[in-house]
Amino acid sequence: MTVSRRDFLKQSALASAAAATVGLPISEAAAAASKSAEAGWRWDRGVCRFCGVGCGIQIATEKGKIVATKADPDAPVNRGLNCIKGYFNGKILYGKDRLTQPLLRMKDGHFDKQGEFVAVSWERAFDEMEKQFKRTYAELGPTGIGFFASGQHTVQEGYAAVKLFKAGFRSNNIDPNARHCMASAVAGFMQTFGIDEPSGNYDDIEHTDTMVLWGANMAEMHPVLWTRVTDRRMGDPNVRVVNLTTISNMSSGIADLEIIFKPQTDLAIMNYLAREIVTRDAVNWDFVNKHCAFAAGPTDIGYGLRGSDKFDYAAEKDVNGKELTMQLDAAEAIGQGKQAGATVEQKNRITPDKHWLITFEDFKKGVEPYTLDFVAELAKGDAEESLDSFKSKLKQLADLYIEKSRKVVSFWTMGFNQHQRGTWVNEQAYTIHLLLGKQAMPGNGAFSLTGQPSACGTAREVGTFSHRLPADMVVNNPAHRAASEKIWKLPAKTLNPKVGSHFTKIMRDLEDGQVKWAWVQVCNPFQDTANANHWIKAAREMDNFIVVSDVYPGISTKVADLILPAAMIFEKWGAYGNAERRTQLWREQVSPPGQARADIWQIMEFSKRFKLKEVWGEQKIPGLKEEGFTDGKLPDVLSGSSYSPQATLYEVLFATADNRKFKWPDKIANKHDNHTAKLLGDHWFPEKALFEEYAQFGRGNAHDLAPFDMYFRDDVRGLKWPVVDGKETHWRFNEAYDPYVKKGSGFDFYGSAFKSLPSGDLNGITKQEKTSIAGKAKIFFRPYAAPVEQPDQNYDMCLSTGRVLEHWHSGTMTRRVRELHFAVPTALIYMHPADAKLRGLKQDDIAWIESRRGKIKAAVETKGRNRPPKGMVFVPWFDEGVFINKVTLDSTCPISKQTDFKKCAVKIFKA
Amino acid sequence: MRDHSVLAVIKFLAGLLLMAAGASFAGQPIQANDMGLSKGSVFDTPTPKVYRYDNTPPGESKVLPRAYLNAPPQISHDVSDFLPITAQSNMCIACHNQPAQWGKKREPTAPTPIPPSHFTDQRKAPGKVTENLVGARYNCNQCHVPQTDAAPLVENTFSPGRTKK
Repeated sequence: MTVSRRDFLKQSALASAAAATVGLPISEAAAAASKSAEAGWRWDRGVCRFCGVGCGIQIATEKGKIVATKADPDAPVNRGLNCIKGYFNGKILYGKDRLTQPLLRMKDGHFDKQGEFVAVSWERAFDEMEKQFKRTYAELGPTGIGFFASGQHTVQEGYAAVKLFKAGFRSNNIDPNARHCMASAVAGFMQTFGIDEPSGNYDDIEHTDTMVLWGANMAEMHPVLWTRVTDRRMGDPNVRVVNLTTISNMSSGIADLEIIFKPQTDLAIMNYLAREIVTRDAVNWDFVNKHCAFAAGPTDIGYGLRGSDKFDYAAEKDVNGKELTMQLDAAEAIGQGKQAGATVEQKNRITPDKHWLITFEDFKKGVEPYTLDFVAELAKGDAEESLDSFKSKLKQLADLYIEKSRKVVSFWTMGFNQHQRGTWVNEQAYTIHLLLGKQAMPGNGAFSLTGQPSACGTAREVGTFSHRLPADMVVNNPAHRAASEKIWKLPAKTLNPKVGSHFTKIMRDLEDGQVKWAWVQVCNPFQDTANANHWIKAAREMDNFIVVSDVYPGISTKVADLILPAAMIFEKWGAYGNAERRTQLWREQVSPPGQARADIWQIMEFSKRFKLKEVWGEQKIPGLKEEGFTDGKLPDVLSGSSYSPQATLYEVLFATADNRKFKWPDKIANKHDNHTAKLLGDHWFPEKALFEEYAQFGRGNAHDLAPFDMYFRDDVRGLKWPVVDGKETHWRFNEAYDPYVKKGSGFDFYGSAFKSLPSGDLNGITKQEKTSIAGKAKIFFRPYAAPVEQPDQNYDMCLSTGRVLEHWHSGTMTRRVRELHFAVPTALIYMHPADAKLRGLKQDDIAWIESRRGKIKAAVETKGRNRPPKGMVFVPWFDEGVFINKVTLDSTCPISKQTDFKKCAVKIFKA
Repeated sequence: MRDHSVLAVIKFLAGLLLMAAGASFAGQPIQANDMGLSKGSVFDTPTPKVYRYDNTPPGESKVLPRAYLNAPPQISHDVSDFLPITAQSNMCIACHNQPAQWGKKREPTAPTPIPPSHFTDQRKAPGKVTENLVGARYNCNQCHVPQTDAAPLVENTFSPGRTKK
């Protein structure tokens, strides 16, 4: 195989003479060729709008419009390459139906929830938004409002949103769509390392010789990283690539080994690998003894469903009932050392994240049932593959991980993260790498990839989650609240210690009337949240007010009460942080169209409408129980503070004396505009001021960002934090690279969260006394757990959803680009031809796809890029006309609260 | 600097024009059902159209226009028999690897030669055109995609500026 691959490249080789005729280095050649065409163009640096890879681009503008983009040849992430989406960064701004004026639902000149959208002024829009906010806030307090934030928010926007909500409104009901995307990765990092985000970086690809994909179709979802993997694979005969997936996909093309497994059995395969490492005596004891501790947690943690059937459709009741009690199936009974058929009350569904230290002997006992025979029988996902073949593949996988001389990188994304046991399976990946001592070094490491361009930079680092504060801090930790209150100059106890509602919970809150005012920015929650029939109905029929800031109309704007036209990425200043901790900043390139305005301007402008006396008095918080607080209440923090009750949130949170020191105009702008600064009119530079204010949280705290201006230097293409003394950190926790590592330790997993724990065995805590494991990472035992909804006689197939290469998320930007839309015009039902035939279906037939929760129609595809095994179907979610989230199940990982979009039971029949 | 007030007027007018496209002058309400890429109610279940990829065989198709200067060209011919690209087989290269054709005039039906940029490894040897197709460029369909008979869902006003060809 290797030989033919190399031969192939040789065949493709050029005659060197031909190459010589070209003469010029390529960038010069291209420059020369386009010189005349480019006269009058202004080129500036930017970052791709789409995925978490974070490719650098160059943007050309002429007469106030973007006319071209190119992949930045000097960006270390992508070195002159983009994917097909990335090449259309310029064109996404120019769909003709851009939202350019606020639109309010009105009847007879007044807001009316049943009214039609009427164009109004910003003033009128904010008036109504304020009126509705104050009505809800008076009635329900801080828990009655919600904010759907985003992994596509810029760093500064996310920071402004979280500050307005948590410090201003004292509400923790802000949560990003990144909850759907990498919350399980976050929980996995926090529980394993005590600190968030990957130790490695993309250069691991060039350093390693073995890359294992676990539920990560990188060829479509991280295309430019895939070009690097491919380059490595094609260029070195020793390199191996493994693709573990539930459907055969585009990444299999370059893989040496494709392993098709049954949904959720990755948990069992991981335990098989751990068992092999133990039984083959391959544990790197030197590393494990010095740097690791073994841990376990409860298994009766539920499935992140509501736990109440009050709002269930009749068909939903059986599956949703399992949230409280579940009957163990045969495989999970074996995997958990329990009796098959036993009914297990889900006692730890409220405390799923608790865990404790165990001994290696207990860990060994835990993985003991996961023999090759047991796991192969359970996990084999393709009925057409023989058991022997599958067993041989699992064995090869174990060999690749264990072989001493091999470096290994494990990549994963949504396959692990969108998983009913997403936190567990993330932790299992670290378990394998830690047992082998193959972590946190060049070419070795478990590497969680991220989906969105600033899921890391904004959602995680800024902390726009309902439980978080900046720099990995959390609202339910008194020291973290105090630290944040100090930087934000807030009176003590301003911050609300009760964790707010997560993304899906805000939807549920809208349905049951607990949230009556919600603001959406830079996401499309009513298209992207599972079990959508409930939420679109709640938006339209309940007594609530939904504000959607967006650039194009889509599902969420259609169910909104007020639509605010937003500026797009290159119409504002911003910063994104990618999956390798690289923070990249850009300038405003062109002005937003019509009345469209940056989200950050919207946040600050709205904040002007609130006086401190309206928000910092006593507030009711149902269920709040916290030391130092009266039950159910936040105290009045205004009396006794030095702030005037008449001061506005704009003055106190944003345009502070410190922030106003950052003046606009600023020479770093290099003649670029800033519509936010100009419209605010106060001669300060909000994006720079807020970046620097935010950076105070991380500096000296292992999350150091460089000064704002440094990111605009000609020789900088983003910097990987922590940036200490002007130097970025390539590999964390490794003494050779990370300045935060204790000298002489070699490795230091210095994250401080969850590092003092009780002890116990696989069944629970036996000793409450806490032991410190400072500096160590945890090796978790996590058992196999069966999916809460499995195919049965009625709903006989398993549905997985996901993205496609050509479209970004819900398609509102990319489907307005002709070239991308023509390439993939609609979402298809990818299915096995035999499954189609069995249902009287053939290629291009329109079929119904129906679950307990809803049904939609789509065309059948039996020979496309995704080739599911029998029993599986795949439907992408980018197409608002193929609204697949009406069908999906809103079960989440109980620890991370991230929805499992990768498995639910459906039936398919001819339309 | 440009005159801001003139710019504001221009922007306002442009805004009106854009709104006209969506039929949304003040006083002329817009129905939610008329918005977005799938018209109708969010509670509806539309029947999607079925699209077909261009089945013109290679050698008979016309080169498609590039979206802007140096944008990756779309695939103008049938590729159904050529995919997937695997480590062992890349049918695109078989025809398009024509470095001898660089800079030469060619028949309209001749395969477009893979350009020198694809033989330049910007990571390991920036700026140097080599004999070999760079591995990072091996998956052609990550940048070049075939097109169906779809119609645009909404007009796009992007203009590639004053480029010559």
